[in-house]
Amino acid sequence: MLDKNTAKKVLNKLLCSGGQFGEIFVQRKVSNNIRLDDNKIENASSGFENGCGLRLIYKDSTYYAFLDSLEEDKLLESAKILSAAVNSSNANKAMNLSDSASVYNVNILKYPNEVLPDIKKGILLNVNETARNASSNIFQVTAVLSDTEEEIFIANSEGVFARDFNVKTLLAVNVIAIKGSEIRTGYKSLAKTKGFELFEEKKPRTVAKQAAEMAINMLDAINAPSGILPVIIGPGFGGVIFHEACGHGLEADAIVKNASVFKDKIGKKIASDIVTAIDDSTLPYHWGSYKFDGEGCPSQKNILIENGVLASYLLDIKSSKKLNLPLTGNGRRQSYRDIPFPRMSNTFINTGKEKPDLILGSVKKGVYAKEFSGGQVDPATGDFVFGISEGYLIENGKLGSPIKGATLIGNGPEILNKIEAIGDDLDYAPGFCGKNGQSVSNEVGQPTIKISEITVGGTGT
Amino acid sequence: MAELLKKEVAEKDIDLGRKISLLLDKTKVDEYEVYISNSIDNEVEIFEGEVESLSYSDSKGVGIRVFKEKKIGYSYSTSFEENNIKDCIEKAILNSKITVEEDINGLPLRNEYKYTQKPEIEKYLYNEDFFKATIEDKIEISRNLEKIAKGKDKRISGVDSLNYSDNFSEITMLNSHGFEGSYKSTSCFLFLNIISKEKEDTSTGFGFSYERDPKKLDLEVIAGEATKKSLMLLGSKKIKSKSADILLDNLVASQFLGIIASILTADSVQKGKSLFKNKIGEKIFKLNVNIFDNGIMKNGYSSKPFDAEGVNKGNTQIFKDGVLNTYLYDCYTARKDKTLSTGNAVRASYKSTPAVGVSNFYIEPSSKTSLKDILKSIDDGFYVTDIIGLHSGANSITGDISVGAKGLWIKNGSFDFPVKEVTIATDILSFCKNIEAIGDDLKFFPSGGFIGSPSLLIKDIAVSGI
Repeated sequence: MLDKNTAKKVLNKLLCSGGQFGEIFVQRKVSNNIRLDDNKIENASSGFENGCGLRLIYKDSTYYAFLDSLEEDKLLESAKILSAAVNSSNANKAMNLSDSASVYNVNILKYPNEVLPDIKKGILLNVNETARNASSNIFQVTAVLSDTEEEIFIANSEGVFARDFNVKTLLAVNVIAIKGSEIRTGYKSLAKTKGFELFEEKKPRTVAKQAAEMAINMLDAINAPSGILPVIIGPGFGGVIFHEACGHGLEADAIVKNASVFKDKIGKKIASDIVTAIDDSTLPYHWGSYKFDGEGCPSQKNILIENGVLASYLLDIKSSKKLNLPLTGNGRRQSYRDIPFPRMSNTFINTGKEKPDLILGSVKKGVYAKEFSGGQVDPATGDFVFGISEGYLIENGKLGSPIKGATLIGNGPEILNKIEAIGDDLDYAPGFCGKNGQSVSNEVGQPTIKISEITVGGTGT
Repeated sequence: MAELLKKEVAEKDIDLGRKISLLLDKTKVDEYEVYISNSIDNEVEIFEGEVESLSYSDSKGVGIRVFKEKKIGYSYSTSFEENNIKDCIEKAILNSKITVEEDINGLPLRNEYKYTQKPEIEKYLYNEDFFKATIEDKIEISRNLEKIAKGKDKRISGVDSLNYSDNFSEITMLNSHGFEGSYKSTSCFLFLNIISKEKEDTSTGFGFSYERDPKKLDLEVIAGEATKKSLMLLGSKKIKSKSADILLDNLVASQFLGIIASILTADSVQKGKSLFKNKIGEKIFKLNVNIFDNGIMKNGYSSKPFDAEGVNKGNTQIFKDGVLNTYLYDCYTARKDKTLSTGNAVRASYKSTPAVGVSNFYIEPSSKTSLKDILKSIDDGFYVTDIIGLHSGANSITGDISVGAKGLWIKNGSFDFPVKEVTIATDILSFCKNIEAIGDDLKFFPSGGFIGSPSLLIKDIAVSGI
C-alpha cells in the first residue's frame, strides 16, 4: 500500500513546522452488502474504498485531513497544508519506524469477497423461508448480509508501524409478526471478525428462528407496568445497559473534558462488590476485536471495574498523554475519514457465581428484560433510557406474560450500586456503536444480572 | 490555514461522468445511472478556548447503478482510474445477477415526474460568501460562542461539546436516458451542548444553528437556547406516574414528527410496515393539520433541483386539514401504485442506492397561537424540553413510542418546577389524534431529512415516574 520510506517522508513533512505528533492511516476496503426484503433480494451493492487520513497534534490541538488517494505527491501536499497550521519554528523529525506486534491473530478460511453472490443469496433466502415457516403470524422478513475485507496501514512519528488485514461478516434478521391488531418485531444478528466459515458454526436458520420467536412471543404482550421495580436483565445483549450507561463515561475523552461522572474515581468504589467489568479487544473472532486499534496500538484486555472498584479508563493516544495514563488500545475510528478517539471494543460485565434460575426465583414482582431495542445516555450525567424489545413480567419468581412498550430509565452510576446478583451465564452480542458521528463494531455482554430497583416506564399498572 | 479553503470548483465531474458512461455503454447492461459526489468538509471543535480538533477533507466518490434484464446491481468507488471504474462496473453487473427481476425496475421516464417544471432552486442552495470565511474566522466564531455561553450564568460549569462544521458539495448525475444534471450547495452548522451545575445536580442543554454562510450564524441565539435549556432543568425532581397533557417544545415535536415521516414513504406502506397503509382520504388528526414535504423550500437544507434518480423535486402536501392526502414516492414505488414520482428518491451518499425518503418535512405552524397562549391554557401538564432514547423507544412499525423525558411541570398556566427521569408513552395514531393545539414557532431539526414542527400540545399522555 505504502512503503516505510514514503511514510517517513510524509511524517517528516507533517512535523516540519514544529508539530509534536504525526500519523498516517491508510485503508483499502472492499465491501459487499445484500438485502432481502418482502420475499426478494431487493438490493445488492459493493464498494471499493481507498484512502488515507493524516493527523497532526500540536499542544492540545488535533489537525486532520483525509484524501481518497494514496499517491505520494498528494500525501505530501496535504501534509504540507496541515503543517502550516502549526507556527512553531523548530522542525521535528519522525522516529524510525519499527514493526508493531499484536497478540491477536486469527485465521480466515472463507474470504467473503470471494464467496459467489449466488451462495449469499441462498443464505438470505434460507433465512427468509425459516423465519416465515416459524408461524403463520410472520408477516414480513428483512435480512441483511454484509461483509468487508480491509487492509490497514498505520505509521506515526513515534516509530509505530502497524499493519493489519481484517475480515468481517454480518447477518442481521428483522421479523414482523401480526396477530389481530397487534404488530410485534423481532431482531437477531450474527457477526464476527471471520469469513463465511461463520455460517458453518452457527446456521443462518438458527438466527432466523430466534428473530421469529422473539416477534411471535411478543404478540401476546400486555402493557408494561410502570413504576420502580426490581429488574432482571438477561445475558448477552442486556450488556448494552453497561455499555451505554457506564462504558461511555469511562472513555477517556469524556474524562479529559470533565464530562463524565467517573472523573477522579479511579481506585474508588463505584459499583457493588460483585461487579467486575472488562473491555477486551483480544477475544478471538469477536465482532469488536482487532489486531491494532485505529492508532496502531495492539489490542489488549482491560479490566475496567474490579470487584466494584474503578480500575481503568479506555484511552487513546491523546487522552493517555493528557491524563498521563498508559494506552489501552482503544483509539478507534470508523475509517480513514475520521479522527480516532476512545471507544469500547468487546465490553462486558464478567461472569458471576449464581444460577440464573435462582436469581429469577428471588424476585416476587418485577420485570425480566431479555432484549433491548437500543439505548441512549447522557455521559455527563449518566442518565439513560433503554427500550425493552423483549420483556416479561416476573411473578413469584417465575416468568409471566410478555410485556410491550416498556423502557428502563435511570442513572448509570446509581444502577451500578444496585446490581444485587450476577449469574454464571456470560454471553455476548454484536452491534454497532455511534459516537460523534462515527460508527464502529462493538460487542456488549453480561451474564444474567439483577437490579434491586429501577424505573420502568410503561402504559399499564 | 487559509489555503485549506481554496476550492477549484470541479467543473470536470460532468466530463468524468461522461467517461464512465462510455465504459458502461460498452457493457451489456440495459440501462445505467452514474452519481458523482464531490465534497469539501471542514470541522472545528473547541474546548476551553483552544482548538481541540480541526479537520479538512476533499473527497469524491462515484456510485454506479446498472439495470440488466430488469434486475438492479450497484457498486461504488473512490478511485477513478479506468481499471478501478471497470472493476466497479463489473461488480455492479455481478450484483445484478442475484437481485429480483421486476418489470417495474428501470430509470425514471419524463412522463413519470409529478412535478414537470424544473424548479428554480439552485441559487438558494449556494452562497458565494461561504468561501470568504477563512478557517481562522471559523475558529473565532466557535471561540466566541464558547465565551458567550460561559458568560451567560455562573452555574454553567463547562462545555460538553462545541462543533462547527461546514460543507461544500457538488452532485453530478448522468443516466443512459440522456439525463445530465448537477448542483452545488454550501452549508454550515454550529452546535453547542453545555453543562451546568448547582450543588450536586448536573444538567445539560443544547443549541444549534445552520446557515449557507458562516458569518450569518447567530451565536447569541445558540448560546441562549443551550443555557436556557440546561439551567431550567437544574434541581429537577422525579414525579409520580400520571396521565397528563404534554406540551412539546418545537425541537422535541420535530423529533416525534421524524418517526411519523418515516412511515409516510410509499416504500414502507407497500411493504406493510406503515400504520398509514390504506388510510388515504382518512382524517388522522383531530385538528385541521397541514403537513408538507417541500423539496424546493428556499431556506430548506434538503432542497435540491432533482432527486437521487434525477426526478424534479416539488412541494407535496401530505396531510390536508388533517386528512391523509398522499404518500411520498420514488420512481419504483410510484410504478407499483400506478402514480407519479414525487421526487423523493434520496441517498445518504454515493455509497447508497436510491431509496424513498423525506426532504423538508414539516407541520404548518399556526398563524395566531403562540407557545405562551398554549401554556396559559394548561392547568396541570408537562412541558417537555428534551427527550432521550427516541431511536430505541419508538417502533415505527408497531407505532409504540416510549421515551425518556425532561422538562418543566406546568401549573395554572405557568412553569412550576423541573422534572427528570420520567418516560412518556403513547402510540403514533393516538399522538396524531390527540394534538390539541399547534404553536406559531416552526423550527427545523436536521435528522435524516430536514424535519420541522412548531410546539405542540398533546392531550392525555401517560407520564411515568416513581
